[in-house]
Amino acid sequence: MRAARILVFLGVLILLVLIPVVGRGTYFQHLGFLTFLFIILSVGWNLVGGYAGQVSFGHVVFFGIGAYTTAILWLRGIPQLLTIPLAGIVAALYGLLWGWPCLRLRGPYFSIATIGVGEATRLLALNLENLTGGAGGLTLPTPEDIHFYLAGFYYLAFLLMVGSLLISAWVRNSRFGLGLFAIRMDEDAAEALGVHAFRYKILALLLSGFLVGLAGSLYAQYILYIDPGTVFGFSMSVNMILMPIIGGIGTLWGPVLGAVIFTVIQDRIMTLSLNLWGFSFKLVQFHLLVYGALLVLIILFEPRGLVGLAERVHRRISRWRQARAVIETAG
Amino acid sequence: MGVILEGKGVTKYFGGLAAVHNVDFQVQEGEIFGLIGPNGAGKTTLFRTIAGIYAPTSGRIFFRGQDITGLKPYVICRLGITTTHQVVRPFLEMSVLENVMVGASFGREWVTGETRDVRKEAMRVLEFTGLASKADVLARNLTLPDRKRLEIARALATRPTVLLLDEVVAGLNPTETLQTMQLIREIRDQGITIVMVEHVMQAVMGISDRIMVLNYGEKIAEGSPQEVATNPQVISAYLGTSHAL
Amino acid sequence: MTTDLAILLVSAVLVAGVYATMSYGLALIFGVMKVINLSHAGAVMLGAYIAYVLIVGLRMNPFIATVLVVPPLFFLLGVLLERVFVRPVRKAPPIASLLLLFGVWLMMQNIAYIIWTGEVRTITTPYTMMRFKVGEVPINVNRLAVFLVGAITLLLLHQFMTRTYLGKAIRATAQDSTAAKLAGINTDQIDMVAFGLGTALAGMAGALTSLIYAFDPNFGGSYMLKSFCIVVLGGVESFLGVALGSLILALAEALSVLWIRAGMQDFVSFVVLIVALLVTPGGLPGLLQKRYAVRPR
Repeated sequence: MRAARILVFLGVLILLVLIPVVGRGTYFQHLGFLTFLFIILSVGWNLVGGYAGQVSFGHVVFFGIGAYTTAILWLRGIPQLLTIPLAGIVAALYGLLWGWPCLRLRGPYFSIATIGVGEATRLLALNLENLTGGAGGLTLPTPEDIHFYLAGFYYLAFLLMVGSLLISAWVRNSRFGLGLFAIRMDEDAAEALGVHAFRYKILALLLSGFLVGLAGSLYAQYILYIDPGTVFGFSMSVNMILMPIIGGIGTLWGPVLGAVIFTVIQDRIMTLSLNLWGFSFKLVQFHLLVYGALLVLIILFEPRGLVGLAERVHRRISRWRQARAVIETAG
Repeated sequence: MGVILEGKGVTKYFGGLAAVHNVDFQVQEGEIFGLIGPNGAGKTTLFRTIAGIYAPTSGRIFFRGQDITGLKPYVICRLGITTTHQVVRPFLEMSVLENVMVGASFGREWVTGETRDVRKEAMRVLEFTGLASKADVLARNLTLPDRKRLEIARALATRPTVLLLDEVVAGLNPTETLQTMQLIREIRDQGITIVMVEHVMQAVMGISDRIMVLNYGEKIAEGSPQEVATNPQVISAYLGTSHAL
Repeated sequence: MTTDLAILLVSAVLVAGVYATMSYGLALIFGVMKVINLSHAGAVMLGAYIAYVLIVGLRMNPFIATVLVVPPLFFLLGVLLERVFVRPVRKAPPIASLLLLFGVWLMMQNIAYIIWTGEVRTITTPYTMMRFKVGEVPINVNRLAVFLVGAITLLLLHQFMTRTYLGKAIRATAQDSTAAKLAGINTDQIDMVAFGLGTALAGMAGALTSLIYAFDPNFGGSYMLKSFCIVVLGGVESFLGVALGSLILALAEALSVLWIRAGMQDFVSFVVLIVALLVTPGGLPGLLQKRYAVRPR
């Protein structure tokens, strides 16, 4: 059983690594890149929203800051690849700026505040035209060998995705992570046991912001065009909440699962249409309905998302197996 | 042995109401110090003021001579004073062991050089408090007596010098109460000073070395259990003036 | 110069009226159920569309449509939402209802999009362009009417809350739901009524506002953020506090035009929101209470 799982895992890994080689510039490479990015976003959000329990509706700010930092610095002559860690750092620092006042708020109040932060940042990007290019956004120079360039970023995104997963796993098993979980469940009780809740929340936000900022930087360098509506849009914040919730908020693999499913749905929704009763529906019209319904269904019936569902099924199966074993030995 | 915890003129107002008014107290190291009084007397407020959940409106609190007035709860825990809650608050989605591991991972500052194996420490505390067999049970599936026990275990895991127990036997039947009292004695024998708020008279009278009585936020008596039990002011506070005569 | 200032102030007051009407529903639901109703924006948006259907489609009188038809319809909607979506997660942590109602909002947006497409709509009535002058200050009849309806609503709500049994039961549940239960109040029913009433108010606000501004399925989002701001400023104890908070926000936005460009006005409300959240746990009334150490009521 164990061996089979490892084999499948390696198989998927090899497949992912080979895609740009086999299918240069194909649809699968683009989809792969986006999926990796979304996984980083999802895992990053999960550190704050899942582990620490602080549900942020404004996480897109890190993505946008990362994207714009890279774009602005690159256009001013800073070496392209150097802008990546810088983007992450600037994003994290921005998190410190708004996190310092906002993480003093509890639960839903924090969430409401993050909506405000997200929209305020978008307005800033829209209006500080000299810096950000305003509504028109920023266009980045097209490289010479575009295929090689994009393939390179595919691998970079892959590496960063793996890195973010490793970080997430490390946090889970560390004292830091234990403190975050305690804060999520009962912040006051955690404080009474010596956990410096505020500092831990800030640290989680910094780490999360750094990762999401990196993703933003990669996005800017791959798509080569950014504007406030896309990289600071509220819908991106919504996506960052949806993915971990669908997959399983607060777990290690949940955000990954959620991101994969989400990217697939997004992609299918954009292109498919349904033929019912003589009418042809373009599915893209329904995406908010689908996400809203998913959110509602998950919270009502399986708050722990797909991971929770899988665990429930697993438990049922093992209980069924136990019962069978008992019957067989008895009979 | 000396004074380990001391309060001078501790006062806490909520709006215009004095929950605690000008209370002085001294707790000797290694003793079990009881805090009693009728409902609303201010016992839990005083506790919470010591624990750092509230900052006193006026007055000072000292721990081993160090002024700890107004420090945040996590700082006070790190200094060595840990509080349990009247309404128990276990981390519901964690197992018993994980709950205690939180206490063991944090809590009082480790002296540099001490090695720590958090899991082993946690198991040791679970064995000491009799919860070892339930180590993997999810906290939300525990009965009330076990949850109260867990609350104590978790607090113990923080390696406190002073343990503040807020109504730890409330809601327990007589057998469970006796078991908890025995546990408290064993904790004290480990060298931990205990301050306990209690309503259940047998528990606090039978176990405390000294007792302080509050009424309407003011201290009305302090002394050994016998002295306090026969103090007319205390009796009238609980039962009404006619009984004191 | 004074004329400009007067125009600014009058405009701010009228806008405050709109904001206040938008916010009563949110304040009520939060005050009674301690639930942050993110579907509020959806109700506002649907209120605008229903008004559109009634006034433009069915040629109904605007006054009758917005004040007499929309509120009862949305009361029923609110009751339905409460029973189906909110009731099951009352015992769960508050984040559950937050996310759930957010999902409901998303669904509402999409439903509006499907039925009416993303096209921006406006409602034009004979009153839309009417205006008269008070001194040098022009006042638009439509906006004045919306303001007046908002003011009358405030009065009626106040009477309802203080004079009727149901109103008092609602206030009791808002202050202390356990005590209310002990006093024999069926808090489950009260929750239902509160959510229904809150949604009705939101729908009415949307309907009224549709007479002034253009709208599309995204309508309501930015108003909701301002409403949060107002509710935090004004506290959830009284509707008067909401009205006061609305005035403060509207004035802040109006005056901010003097320093920052028009597009950034929303930025002001966000800043005020954050500051308000940090500084005033009980809204301004709570702040005043703390300052003067009045005996707790």
